[in-house]
Amino acid sequence: MGGHGVTEGREAAVSEVAGSRARDLLRRLMPASILEEHESCSELTLVVDRSELVEVVKLLRDHHEALYNLPVLVTAVDYPDREPDLPRFDVVYVFRSLPFNDVVQIVVRVTEQDPHVPTLEDLFAGMDWHERETFDLFGIVFDGHHDLKRILLPSDWEGHPLRKDYISFGEPVAFTHNLDWALQEAQRPDTMPGEME
Amino acid sequence: MARDNRGEEMDEFARGRAAVGLDPENSAIDATRLEDGTMELNMGPQHPSTHGVLRLVLDLDGEVVKECRPDIGYLHTGFEKSFESHTYWQCVPYTDRMDYLGPMLNNLGFALAVEKLLGIEVPERARYLRVILSELTRVASHLIWFGTSAMDMGATSPFMYAWRERETILDINEFISGVRMHTSFIRIGGLMADVPDGFVEMVQHVLDTFPKAFDEYELLVTNNPIFRDRTIGIGVISREDAVAYGLSGPSLRGSGIPYDLRKAQPYCGYEEFAFDVPIGTHGDVYDRYLCRMQEMRESLKIIDQALRRLPDGPVTSMNRKVSPPPRNEINTSMESLINHFKLVTEGMHPPKGTTYTAIESARGELGYYIVSDGSNRPYRCKVRAPSFSNLAGLPSMTRGHLIADTVAIIGSIDIVLGDVDR
Repeated sequence: MGGHGVTEGREAAVSEVAGSRARDLLRRLMPASILEEHESCSELTLVVDRSELVEVVKLLRDHHEALYNLPVLVTAVDYPDREPDLPRFDVVYVFRSLPFNDVVQIVVRVTEQDPHVPTLEDLFAGMDWHERETFDLFGIVFDGHHDLKRILLPSDWEGHPLRKDYISFGEPVAFTHNLDWALQEAQRPDTMPGEME
Repeated sequence: MARDNRGEEMDEFARGRAAVGLDPENSAIDATRLEDGTMELNMGPQHPSTHGVLRLVLDLDGEVVKECRPDIGYLHTGFEKSFESHTYWQCVPYTDRMDYLGPMLNNLGFALAVEKLLGIEVPERARYLRVILSELTRVASHLIWFGTSAMDMGATSPFMYAWRERETILDINEFISGVRMHTSFIRIGGLMADVPDGFVEMVQHVLDTFPKAFDEYELLVTNNPIFRDRTIGIGVISREDAVAYGLSGPSLRGSGIPYDLRKAQPYCGYEEFAFDVPIGTHGDVYDRYLCRMQEMRESLKIIDQALRRLPDGPVTSMNRKVSPPPRNEINTSMESLINHFKLVTEGMHPPKGTTYTAIESARGELGYYIVSDGSNRPYRCKVRAPSFSNLAGLPSMTRGHLIADTVAIIGSIDIVLGDVDR
């Protein structure tokens, strides 16, 4: 294996709660940016304000005490039935700090009417595809993305399948309780019983 | 919409062109000469070197790739949507089918995430067997990579040899689970069943024969001058770029970053085993090749240690809200019967919460981001697929290389399109 070093790997101690390094730094330098903190399964989720997302991620990437330099994933979670004062979508970012061996989850909340988030493409080259995927499946718009278009689905697909109100399963089946509907459907020449409108 | 056959075909093609930013009207030919003298060439989705259905649109100056635009999604099946309508244990077979070359690793990642939400531990024997099985799967997956990526470059013999060895591992899968590939053997709370008698001997046979086989491979390929010419200095990705693209696994380590989740954030007790994490220095195709070849030997080391220490005992959690009781218990205990009924009809109910749990799959960081709302189905399950991020780095690796090198580079990042598209 000439010239190819074999190392023992990095064995930095894993901090007690994943993401606490990011939280401590943000509390110190940008205390107003953290709107909420949630802990689950010893992992921290930091809810930050949309207007400060770019600044927060930039700080976490560049500050010598954090160095969250690897973009792990971007996705969203849809809560259509949330309390009326809470926005519908959680846009989730996960970043990994290779030097400090830590993972942090950042959440930005956006409403259905205004599903816009600033793009992080300029900070991480790998964000491009992740943001496109989230746009494709959830309809979250990443402002400033150089080429925001569908990535997994065909370009003329309608709707955003991972939204909860997009039904892709459970088409009605004829049973006694919906017999009227089933008979009505059976009389229509162009559809099979059970087919969705 | 009523269209004649010809019209339908044209429409599909135009749609495909629009997806990668080409002129949708210009659908008559695959290669187009642009104004500045470069040529757009369509490669795939049915190209033999694309390992599934990956489509690349290449901007060529002569034979040199100026820009490469991957078009993915041909295997998109909406697994993440399906997860939301299935109970947790019904989701396990779906995980097999994502990265279909590393089924056990996918099962393991999902099982660990749900176990974390449930807050349960698996018995020792299950933990050791999980380690053995995931390392066997890693070796099997790397063998496919070895065979196919060498074949992409014109060497057909390594493919035959690699398939011979992989067969032994598939035989083990079949022996323990009845299925060769989509095993679903690693379940939430432990394993599907204990391994039958003879398993240890079969794995021992792998340990005895594989190192000799690997020597044979290296003799064929590693110092082969044609292979070295085709791979050294090709598809270089720097340390900084590799991290910024979110690369992981051997594709990241080939660039010299010793990050392996088995070492960095050990799961399944990987910290108990002695093994090395091979890294490269230049981040080219050859370095990634050396990393994977060395990794297979390291995997054998882990299997050897785990096999020698393999304890006796149960292989599923004793928590009856998670794993079904054994048959004889159902015959005698009413409570067990109820537990069994509840598990089969409803499944398990992890408490409210979220987790991002990642393992080191054969391709890199495989993570499951699960949101539980306390019901028996995941509210949201996002799969962080290593191939997806690794493929995102392809355009920057191919820039300035020849078309023939593109083939070698795709092979070196070892993507599985089922994993990319999910």
